[in-house]
Amino acid sequence: MSSVAASKTGGRLLGGYFVLLAIFLYAPLAVMIIFAFNDSFVQTFPWSGFTTKWFHNAFSNTELIDSLKRSAWIGVAAAIGATLLGLITAVGMTARKLRLRGLVTALVLLPLVIPYIVLAVGLLILLNWLGLQQALWAVLLGHIAVSVPYCLLIILPRLRTLDQAIVDAARDLGAGPWTAFRRVTLPLIVPALFSAALIAFTISFDEFAIASFLVPAGEATYPVYVYSGARTPALQPQILALGSVVVVASLVIVTLAEVLRHRAERRLET
Amino acid sequence: MAVASSASPQRAGPFGRLFSAPGRGWLTLPIICFLLAVFVFPLVLIGLYSVNLLTNLFGVPTNFSLVNWDSFLPPGDNVFWDRFKTSMVITLLVSVLAVVAAYPLAYFLAFVARKRRYTLLLLILAPFFTSYLLRVIAWKVILANNGVINSALWQLGIRDQGDGITWLIYSWFAVALVLFYSWVPFVALPIYVVLENMDTRLLEAAQDLGAGRLRTFFRVTLPLSLPGVIAAFVFVLIPTTGEFIAPLLVGGPESYMFGNAIQAFFSDTPNWNYGAVLAVWLIAVVLVLVILFGRFLSTDLREGKATA
Amino acid sequence: MERMDRRKFLASSAVFGGGVLLAGCGGGAGSQPSAGGTPTETHPPIGQEPGTLNILEWPGYEAGGTKAQTYGMIAGTNYTDEFGADGLKYTYIVNDTQAVNKARQVEFDLMHPCIENVQDYVNSGLVQPWDTSLLPSFKNLNPVLTERGMVNGQQYFVPWDWGYASILYRTDMVDAADATGWELFWNEKYKGRISMWDGAQSNFEVAALKLGFPEMDNQTSDQVQQSKEALIEQKPLNKFYWKSTYSDMQPAFKAGDIWIAYSWQDGYVNMKAEGLAVEFMQPSQGKLGWVCGFMLGANTESYHHAHKYVESFLDHEACVDLVNLFYYGSADATVQPSDVQNKALAKKLNIGDPEALNGDGVNIQSWMPNEDEVALAWQEVSAA
Repeated sequence: MSSVAASKTGGRLLGGYFVLLAIFLYAPLAVMIIFAFNDSFVQTFPWSGFTTKWFHNAFSNTELIDSLKRSAWIGVAAAIGATLLGLITAVGMTARKLRLRGLVTALVLLPLVIPYIVLAVGLLILLNWLGLQQALWAVLLGHIAVSVPYCLLIILPRLRTLDQAIVDAARDLGAGPWTAFRRVTLPLIVPALFSAALIAFTISFDEFAIASFLVPAGEATYPVYVYSGARTPALQPQILALGSVVVVASLVIVTLAEVLRHRAERRLET
Repeated sequence: MAVASSASPQRAGPFGRLFSAPGRGWLTLPIICFLLAVFVFPLVLIGLYSVNLLTNLFGVPTNFSLVNWDSFLPPGDNVFWDRFKTSMVITLLVSVLAVVAAYPLAYFLAFVARKRRYTLLLLILAPFFTSYLLRVIAWKVILANNGVINSALWQLGIRDQGDGITWLIYSWFAVALVLFYSWVPFVALPIYVVLENMDTRLLEAAQDLGAGRLRTFFRVTLPLSLPGVIAAFVFVLIPTTGEFIAPLLVGGPESYMFGNAIQAFFSDTPNWNYGAVLAVWLIAVVLVLVILFGRFLSTDLREGKATA
Repeated sequence: MERMDRRKFLASSAVFGGGVLLAGCGGGAGSQPSAGGTPTETHPPIGQEPGTLNILEWPGYEAGGTKAQTYGMIAGTNYTDEFGADGLKYTYIVNDTQAVNKARQVEFDLMHPCIENVQDYVNSGLVQPWDTSLLPSFKNLNPVLTERGMVNGQQYFVPWDWGYASILYRTDMVDAADATGWELFWNEKYKGRISMWDGAQSNFEVAALKLGFPEMDNQTSDQVQQSKEALIEQKPLNKFYWKSTYSDMQPAFKAGDIWIAYSWQDGYVNMKAEGLAVEFMQPSQGKLGWVCGFMLGANTESYHHAHKYVESFLDHEACVDLVNLFYYGSADATVQPSDVQNKALAKKLNIGDPEALNGDGVNIQSWMPNEDEVALAWQEVSAA
C-alpha cells in the first residue's frame, strides 16, 4: 500500500528486509531449541536423533535447578525492591518544588550509564573494605541499584500523564492525600508498576557481571552457572535444554505482559 | 490546574503530609541514600584504589601515588591503552552498524506497517528480553568449528568434511556479530518513536513542492529523525564500552576488550590498584559520552513529557 | 515420562511467578582476616565444631562421595562416609594466581594450592600450620616433599599430589626435529595449532626456560620484561589460551583443533588412550615439576574436621587411586610401581622414585618473590 513515506515497491522491499531481520533475530533461538532435542553431545549436523533426555538431565541436575531457583528468588526480591523504590522516587519527583532536581535526576539515572563491570568491581571492593564475604544479598542490592532507573522511567511518565482531575475530584470529596493516592492514583498506575516489576525481574534474572563477582561458594545464580556450563562440553546440551525452556518462557511472559498491559491501559483510559 | 489540598476538609495525617505537594520532594530521600551507599560510594572506593590510597594487598603502604596512572595514560607504550583504543573502535563500529541496520526496520514499522505495527514491534523486541547469555551461547553453537554453519557446509558438500571456517568463532567477527545481534532490536525503538511521532504533513508538504520520495527521505525525514538516531547510537555505545561477556564466550586471545582487562584484574590478579585505574578510566569515558550526547537522550524527567 | 516432563516444565515456569520475599539468605558474618593461629592454640573438640568445610579446590578433586566428584575418585570417601557430604562446599580455582586472589576474598577452611604460593599464603596470614599428630598417614609421605612444605619450622603445607608439566604434541603432525624443547611453542610453522595455559607463573617460567635465564622463579625486572616480550610474540600462534584441561584443552586436542599444548601428564595419558599419536616432551631445558597439597585456613572453625578431611586424602588407598585415576604422582612414598595399573606409565613418570622431582631434567616450580610483577606482566600479555 502506497503512502507518502514509501512507494509500493519501497514498502515491499522494506517488508522483505523486516522479514529477513526477524529471521536473523529468531534463528539462534530456534537453533538452540532444535538442538536441545538432538541426541548428541555436540551440536552439529547431521541430526543424531530425537531425544528428550537432555531435559531430564537438566531437571535432575540439582546444581542447575538450584541456581535457577536462586535467580528466581533474587529476581522477585529485586522486582519488588526496585519497583517500590521507583514508585516512591517517582512520587517524590512529581513534587512541584524539588531542591537540586537536576542533581537528583542525574544521580538516579546514573546506574543506566555506568557499565555493570564497574559496579560489580566497586561492590567487590566495598565488601572487601567492610571485611564482609561474598553474599547473595550484595548481589540483590546491586540488582536493585541497576533496575531502579528503569522502573522510574516507566512509572514517572505514567504518574505525570495521570488525569489530575480524578485525583482532585477525590480530594474534593474529602479524601486526604494519602487516601487519594492509595485508592485513586495507585490503581490507575498498576499496569506501569507491573511493567516496572517485570523489567526489574528480567534484568536481575539475567545479570551476570555483578553476580559473577559476588556469589558465594556453591551458590551460583543461573547466569553464573550457565557461563561455567557453557565451557564444559559435557554440560552443554543440558544448558541448551534448560535454556530453551527459559527462552520460551520469557518470550511468552513478555508477550503476555505487554498484551495485558496494553489492554489494561486502554481500559483505564476510557 | 485545580488545587485541592487547601480546600480539603480532612486533615492530612503523617502520610498525607508526605504526599501533599510541598512535602513530596522528601520521598526522593530513600533512593538518594540507597544509591549513595550502594552505587556512588563503591565508585569512590574504586577511585581511591586507583591512586593507591586503599589497597587489598597485604603489607603494601597506602600513600597517594599516581604511578599506575602514569603507566596507563599516554605518552608511554601501555598495552592496556592500546587495547582500550582497539576496544573503542569495535564498539563504535558495532554501534554504527546496529543503528544503520535498525533504521529501515523502524521506518517499516512507523510508515509501512500501519495496522499491525504494534504487534510487529513486539515481535522484534521480544528476543531482547530473553537471556543475553543464552543468546550468546546459541551463537557459540552456530559458529563453532563443528557447529551448525560449518557442519551444514560439510553436509552440503560446499566444504570438505572437517574443514571448517575457522574465523567464525573465537575472533573479532564473532564478538562483533554477537554484539550487533543483541542490540539491533533495542536500537530500533528510539528511532521508531521519533519516526512515529513525525508529522507526516511535513512529508506531504515536501512532496507537494515536487520532491520525490527518496529526496523527501534524505532531506526531510532523515534530518528530523536524527535525534532518535543519535539517541539509539548512544544507547548501544555506552553499555558496549564495558562489554566483556561476549569476548569471554566467543572471543579469542586477540579479541580481548577493555572490559575483559578490568574483569581479569579483579578476578585473576591481586593487583586491584591497577585494575581500578582501568575502571576509573572507563567511568570517565562513559561520563564524557553522556555529557556530549546528553541532550539526545530523551529521558527528560524535568518536564512532563511522556516517553515511549 | 511425558507427564513428568510437563509437570516439571510447569513447575519451572511457576518459579517465575513466585511471590514470596527473599529471606535474606547467604551472607557470611563480617570478619577481618587475622594473623595465622599457632598450633599451641587450643581448639574445641570435634563435637563442638560446625563441621562445614569451605574448600578452595581445583575442579575434579572434590571428595569422593560428593555429587561434584564425577571421576570416581576415592580420596575423601573416608571423610564423607563418616561425616556426610552436605557440609562440604567448593569454590573452584583454575590457576595459581587466581587462587591467591580468591583466597583473599573467600573465607575458606582449607585449600589445595601448589607449592609456589605457599610463602604468599603464609605471609598474608591467611593460613595456619597443620597439627601432623592429627594426620596418621602423614608418616607415609615423602620427606623430600614434606620438607618443602615447612615454613619457619612448621608444617603449613601438606603435599599430596605432584607431577610434571611439559608440551603435549602430536607425533604425526609435528616434526621430531622441532620437538626439542619449550621453543616449540614459538614455532611459526604451527601457528593456530598451539594452546598454552592461561597461567601467569607457568608461562613466565616457560619463557624464562626458553630464553635460558638461570632462575625461572627469580627473574630480574629486566628478565621479566624480556619474558613478557617473548610471550607477546608467541601469543598470535595460539588458537586459544586454555583454562581448564578437561573442558577446553583435551576436547580441542582430541578433535584435532590443536596439536601442541601445555599439559600435565594426565593429558598425555588421556590422549594416548583416545588412540592419538602423542608424546609428552622431555624438553632440553627440563620439564616443569609441580607439587600441590593442602593448607589450613587461619580462621577455620572446623579445625578437627579439616584434619580428618585431609587425612582421608592422605590415606594410602586414596593415594594409590590418585595415581591410577589421574596419573599424577602421590606424595605418599609407600606407593610402589607395582600398585600402578599402567606399568609403562609408572616407569615414565618415575612413580615410586622419591627423587623424581629432583633430577636435572626437572625444574620444580617454587615461590616467586616478585610474583605481583609477573602477574601484572601477564595481564599485559593478555591485553596485548
